[in-house]
Amino acid sequence: MVDINLAEASVEQILANQRGLIAIGAGLAVGLSGIASALAEKDIGAAAVGAMAEREELFGKGLIMTVIPETIVIFGLVVAILLWFVA
Amino acid sequence: MFFNRRGSKKYAYITARVRAMKSKLIQREVFPKMMNMDLAEITRFIGESEYKQDVDELAQKYSGIDLVEHALNQNLARTYRKLLRISKDEPHYLITEYLRYWDIWNIKTILRGKYYGATLEEIQEAVVAAGQLGYRQLISIAGMESIDDIKVALENTPYHSAISDYQGGMLSTVENNLDKLYYSRILSSMGKSKGEKLSLKFIKTEIDLKNLKTLFRTKKADLPRDEIMELLISGGAELKDGDLRRLVSLSWPDFIKSMEDYSYWSALSEVISEDMPSLMDVEAELDKYAMKYSSKVSHYYPLSILPIFDYIVRKNNEINNLRTIARGKESALSDDIIKKHLVM
Repeated sequence: MVDINLAEASVEQILANQRGLIAIGAGLAVGLSGIASALAEKDIGAAAVGAMAEREELFGKGLIMTVIPETIVIFGLVVAILLWFVA
Repeated sequence: MFFNRRGSKKYAYITARVRAMKSKLIQREVFPKMMNMDLAEITRFIGESEYKQDVDELAQKYSGIDLVEHALNQNLARTYRKLLRISKDEPHYLITEYLRYWDIWNIKTILRGKYYGATLEEIQEAVVAAGQLGYRQLISIAGMESIDDIKVALENTPYHSAISDYQGGMLSTVENNLDKLYYSRILSSMGKSKGEKLSLKFIKTEIDLKNLKTLFRTKKADLPRDEIMELLISGGAELKDGDLRRLVSLSWPDFIKSMEDYSYWSALSEVISEDMPSLMDVEAELDKYAMKYSSKVSHYYPLSILPIFDYIVRKNNEINNLRTIARGKESALSDDIIKKHLVM
C-alpha cells in the first residue's frame, strides 16, 4: 500500500485515490453478486440436470430456470457501470 | 449456512430426477381402463410403457401371468437399484436403509418357501432383488436345503442376528425379529435436521400403520394378549408403547371404539364396524392413507429424502395394482372385487 498523507497530497493524487476506491466498489458489486448468483444457480442447475436425465424435453425449461438467478449478477454489473461512468 | 453438511445441496439433483421419474408412473385413471383388457392386452400395454425392457427380456423365458409377474418384480428391483445408483452421500445412505425392507421381504419369502416346501421356481417368482442382497445371491440362498446353510450365507449381513436363533418350524418369531431389526435400524439412521425430523415422522407413521394392521388382524382373530404384544413394533408416532398396551388389552368392540381417539380414524371411519366380515376394506384404507400421507409430506419439505420415499411408496403401489389386475383377470374375478383391491 502506498501511504498518502492527505494534508500534503496534491489534488491529482486525491482524485486518483477516489477513482481507485470507485474501482474497488465496482469490482465488489460484480464479484459479490457473481458469487450470489452462483450459489443460487448451483442447486437449480443440479435439479435441472436431474430432471433432464429422465425427460429430455425439459431441456428448454431447465435452461431458462437455471439462468434466472443470472439477473442478480446483471444488477451487480449495472451498479458497477453506474459507478464507473456516472460517479 | 451455505456450506451446511446436511444442506439442500445433496438433494436438488436427486429430488428433481425422482420427481421426473414420478411423472412417468401410470396415472390413476389408466387403471380402470386396464380392467377392460384381458391378460394378453395387459401384457402388451405394460410392454409398451416403462416396463418395455423387462417384458422384452423375459418374453422368451416366460409367458402369460408368469411373464407379467417376473417383469413387474424385475422392474421394481431395477427402479430401486437405479435410485441407489443415482444418489450419493446422505440420500444414498437413507435410501439404502429404507430399501432394506426388500432384503427382509426376500429373507421372509425364502424362509416361508422352505417351511412350506415350495420349489425353487416358486420362490424365484416372489423374490424382488431391490435391497442390498443381489438376485444371484438370493437365488443361491433359495437353492440351499438346510436352515443352517442359509444362516451361514447371511452371516456377514446385518440380518444374521435376527435369524441366528431360528431352528426351523413356526416363522412368526423370526419374521418379527426381522421387522423390528429393520425399523430400529432406520429409526437410528435419521439425524436431527428439519428434513430428517419429518422423515422420522414418516417412518413412525409407517410403523403405526403396520401396528394397526397387526392389531386389527390379531384382535379380530382374538389372539391372547402376550402374543399380540410380541408382534407389535415400538417407536410409532401416535401409537406409543402405552397406547399399544392399552389397545391390546381391550375387547374387540372397545378396540373399535377407541380408534376414534387417533387421527387414523378419519381414514377408517367409513369402513370400520364391530361386525365387519373381512378386514380387506380396512387394510385398503390404511394403504390409501399411507400413500396420501407420503405425498402430503413430500411437499412440506421438497429438498429432503421425503419425495424419494414418496416415489418408492408409489412405485411399489403401482406394481401391486398392476399385479392385482393381472392376477384378478387371470383368475376371472369380477371387476368389482379387483377394484376393491386397488389402491389409488
